[in-house]
Amino acid sequence: MKRYDMIVVGAGPAGLCAAIEAAKCGMHVVVYDENAKPGGQLFKQIHKFFGSKEHKAKIRGFKIGEELLEEADALGVEVVLNAVVIGLFPEKEITVKIEEHVEHVKGDTILIATGASENMVTFPGWTLPGVIGAGAAQTMMNLHGILPGKRVLMLGSGNVGLVVSFQLMQAGCEVVALADAAPRVGGYGVHAAKVARCGVPFYLSHTILCAEGDDHVTGVTIGEVDKNWQVIKGTEKYFEVDTICLAVGLSPMSKLCDMAGCDMEDNPAKAGFVPIVNEYGETSIPGIYAAGDVSGIEEASSAMIEGRIAGIAAAVRMGFLTKEAGDAEFKKQKTALEGLRQGMFAPGMRGKAITQTEEGVAISKNLLEHGFVAEEEIERFPGVTHRKGIHPVIECTQNIPCNPCQDACPKHCIKIGSKITALPAVDPEVSCSGCGMCVASCSGQAIFLVDEDCGDGTAQITMPYEFLPLPQEGEKGIALSRSGEKVCEAQVVGVRSAKAFDHTRLLTIKVAKEYAMKARFFRREDAR
Amino acid sequence: MRIEEHPILGTYKKGEIVPFTFDGKTLEGCAGEPVAIALKNAGVMVHRYTRKEHKPRGIFCAIGRCTDCVMVVNGKPNVRTCITPLEAGMDVRTQYGVSAEQPDKGERK
Repeated sequence: MKRYDMIVVGAGPAGLCAAIEAAKCGMHVVVYDENAKPGGQLFKQIHKFFGSKEHKAKIRGFKIGEELLEEADALGVEVVLNAVVIGLFPEKEITVKIEEHVEHVKGDTILIATGASENMVTFPGWTLPGVIGAGAAQTMMNLHGILPGKRVLMLGSGNVGLVVSFQLMQAGCEVVALADAAPRVGGYGVHAAKVARCGVPFYLSHTILCAEGDDHVTGVTIGEVDKNWQVIKGTEKYFEVDTICLAVGLSPMSKLCDMAGCDMEDNPAKAGFVPIVNEYGETSIPGIYAAGDVSGIEEASSAMIEGRIAGIAAAVRMGFLTKEAGDAEFKKQKTALEGLRQGMFAPGMRGKAITQTEEGVAISKNLLEHGFVAEEEIERFPGVTHRKGIHPVIECTQNIPCNPCQDACPKHCIKIGSKITALPAVDPEVSCSGCGMCVASCSGQAIFLVDEDCGDGTAQITMPYEFLPLPQEGEKGIALSRSGEKVCEAQVVGVRSAKAFDHTRLLTIKVAKEYAMKARFFRREDAR
Repeated sequence: MRIEEHPILGTYKKGEIVPFTFDGKTLEGCAGEPVAIALKNAGVMVHRYTRKEHKPRGIFCAIGRCTDCVMVVNGKPNVRTCITPLEAGMDVRTQYGVSAEQPDKGERK
């Protein structure tokens, strides 16, 4: 029987990070993954990640995946693909199906990092071709370069629904609406805002009544629900679509842990049936660990740290790392993990209604109910200031763990401070060179450079732009508001790209000066 | 349906264009991409019909988990087309129940 110091099940962010940490200490590690390619879902994530430097913030998910694979490879981690782990036994043995045979392998430690699977909802017509999971849409467009459809309705306003809606538009689809039965947007406000300003209407408190079509989806009807989730008659709305995308949450895939006899719990805060683990990720069976979504749904950023912690703990257990060295490393990782678990979207905050930010600023109600901050709300946030000349306007209105903007400004005019969830504030004393680094660094695409009065009756607004075709300098089009409605005519006066911007283009438009604080997106004239 | 250029990903690395058949009709796809993607590009939405109710099914999860997209590939039924790489000359057929044979209407109950 083959024997390893550590067997990792799942080559996603948690599994790879654990393997890297264990291999760094000299452990002989194997990673099994049932897919043909490693990386889990990281290679479908084309947006910039949140967090701070240590969490790989502002790096796009697929780049993080590439980095992790390179690191694992350099450390001699063995990654076996098309390998389905079909059994896990308390003696820390596994059975794995590779092609047509089954191998029996022994691990002195085992990490389960099998991730999660997508939830679904049922409605008449939900089995029709054209109804797909949000993950399927990502797989099609970001891995295989094919459009999931032309006109899409997204169900679900959590981060997955919001991020995938944006990605659908980046790929060239039209997102006709975003619906969610919940009364409030579930994901980050900045993700919602960048979808809303492209003109996607949000229908909160709405659910799908039925999908239309004989052999495939041709349309969808949604309707408003009351407090008891009953559809209110007369509120039905029909959309002609060829695709309905479901982003209604994830559930941990924890069956292997259960099979081995690990103590399990049904924990709503962790979004499902999960193994009970201690602070090192160790289950009730000593030497068997769980990390990432399998032990509670969170972001990939936290999965990576959980993986590192489990890798370190396994190394200490096996004597590859001294207790002291392990403790020091664990403390560092724990601090990083705690940093991510703060703010309005921390795991403990699920389902809680929040009325004000940590700074005591009233939350934007409009953002929660319609996906964008209303004009009369935006001025109260510390990132929104006014002055003569070009300056950043930071429309970041919720406490989320993210701070790349603070380091982006070469003049240090953006302040977040040591608390990573604090709202960024602009220092009015520091002049702005208009370099645009902050605009490109913001994973939420919430920073704009505004010159409110150029002296000739116009204002200029620089915004992040990640769509094709790229508007050209001199091109005329329409400025859209935060809600995606037409504000005024606009002309492109600058298009900047730089390696440091990492594929985010900075588009500068000129509008009449009264629209300086209204215009937040640009639509090309020949677009719909 | 293919994305020619993506604002973040640029162009996609694809295998050479190869022929395959879908219900006897010759189509083209990129070698190595999932069979389901080649079908999607050709506009094929229905992969199979369920046995009892004859209801259409297509791609749902696209990662080999849900088994909604299974078809008869090279004579073998229940092949998950979303994770099966396309090869030149593959024989892909709509699956009815668990076979490539379309049942008579009278048989369907």
